[in-house]
Amino acid sequence: MEDGLCITAVGFLPFVFLFLIEFKLTHSRNKMNSTSTHFVPSRRMDIYEPIHQMTMWGDFKENNCEDLSPPMILEIEGKLDNQSEETSHGTVGPSSNDQEASRRPDKVQRRLAQNREAARKSRLRKKAYVQQLESSKLKLIQLEQELGRARQQGLCAGGGLDTSQLGYSETINPGITAFEMEYGHWVEEQNIQISDLRNALQSNVGDMELSILIERVLKHYADLFAMKATAARIDVFYLMSGMWKTSAERFFLWIGGFRPSELLKVLLPHLEPMSEQQHFEVCNLRQNCQQAEDAFSQGMEKLRYIVAEAVGAGRLGEGNYLPQITAAIEKLEALVRFVGQADHLRQETLQQISRILEPPQAARGLLALGEYLQRLRALSSLWSSRPCEPT
Amino acid sequence: MQQTLPYKDWFADTASAGGTRGSSNPPPGFNDYASVSRMVTENAVIVFARKDCCMCHVVKLLLHGHGVNPTVFDVDEANENDVVNELSRIIGVDGSGNANRPQFPAVFVGGEIFGGLEEVMGAHISGELVPRLREAGALWL
Repeated sequence: MEDGLCITAVGFLPFVFLFLIEFKLTHSRNKMNSTSTHFVPSRRMDIYEPIHQMTMWGDFKENNCEDLSPPMILEIEGKLDNQSEETSHGTVGPSSNDQEASRRPDKVQRRLAQNREAARKSRLRKKAYVQQLESSKLKLIQLEQELGRARQQGLCAGGGLDTSQLGYSETINPGITAFEMEYGHWVEEQNIQISDLRNALQSNVGDMELSILIERVLKHYADLFAMKATAARIDVFYLMSGMWKTSAERFFLWIGGFRPSELLKVLLPHLEPMSEQQHFEVCNLRQNCQQAEDAFSQGMEKLRYIVAEAVGAGRLGEGNYLPQITAAIEKLEALVRFVGQADHLRQETLQQISRILEPPQAARGLLALGEYLQRLRALSSLWSSRPCEPT
Repeated sequence: MQQTLPYKDWFADTASAGGTRGSSNPPPGFNDYASVSRMVTENAVIVFARKDCCMCHVVKLLLHGHGVNPTVFDVDEANENDVVNELSRIIGVDGSGNANRPQFPAVFVGGEIFGGLEEVMGAHISGELVPRLREAGALWL
């Protein structure tokens, strides 16, 4: 087993030839030569090493080679097939000029065979190295995309459209970070449930199974609303900003989430066929949602008015405003309840849909809803990867 | 038909003007414990609301949307505690502990506690609100 440093013979023609082809220093114990060459030290190639540490591809061993000392430029590691019975370890043997081809043909043959073998192994190693480079490149692209998404969602300071409006500080609350992670998991689970619904509908399963799936989806939404309630208590401004959602979803944001009547409008055609009674009830539901949303919107207007009044109370321009700000913050606590009530409205709407409809219809409706939201997220992804127009 | 308050009314929504149109009584105030109970029983729909409370505003709007003109009892800081205690007594919960104290808005329909914004919203969506209002005589349609 070859573990040491050795000095390669370069002087001999056959090996120079091989060297030129392979860009690699092969090592043959038969012909030690005092000639040495400077090479960039190659390091052990580790598949988990960061990309920038990849130097010239040369050698890398599968085994550990801790005894390699990097600064020595003359040292090259080699991996050998081991059937060499010659000496090895880092010492330069006596010049083997006289063991050249003419004298001992079988030995030469063996040497040539060894070289071929070494060359073959070298080619394999090169192939493995290139494959590793490719996969690392893919991983890098993936990371860059994720970073772009995260930036776009405002995890880094200075991202996104709402920072100026919110005065969002750079310090990130751990509770909020936890919420974002949880929400990420929620979306993943949501995608799974959507494809389960799709498969179930395509394979024409019975109403019982569909009802189970429907329950699962409704419960999943309930989980989301519970998560949001916790986050609202931590930082309701953050929740209201929708920075935890994708940009297209933010475009449609209404009190920290989707607007029920809007969704019903999108879903309506997908619920067909419906009976006349169902049709009537769904339209009724949409109208009730609209009325509730209007009431909420006006309540929000009033809250804004109250907060504005509190912030602007007293004499503006005096430079002392702590009492006003404190009073305003107190008023803003109502916002937490608002978001909770809006989520409750969303929940009730979903429940009511599943009450009005038969399981196959409700399943279709929930599938349509899920996919609609998926499309919005996809829109956001595509949006963020558009090339910027040069100004 | 009944006259409903215009939606943008809250600018002028002072204590005495709140929703008492159609009622011949003087503006509701907390004179004694009896008056609260009396108002609960006498009115088909009554909302106990804090002034400047946005949730209360939403409840009022929802009811107006159905054509209902609820009596509104404006609660202010002075009488809030007493009102809460009295309401707890009427409802039959232990008002001393914090857990079950009624919150505002508190809506009574047909002399019974209906709930807060959440309950009214839920009934509104599920379609149960209108029958209840009709039952209590708050709606004639």
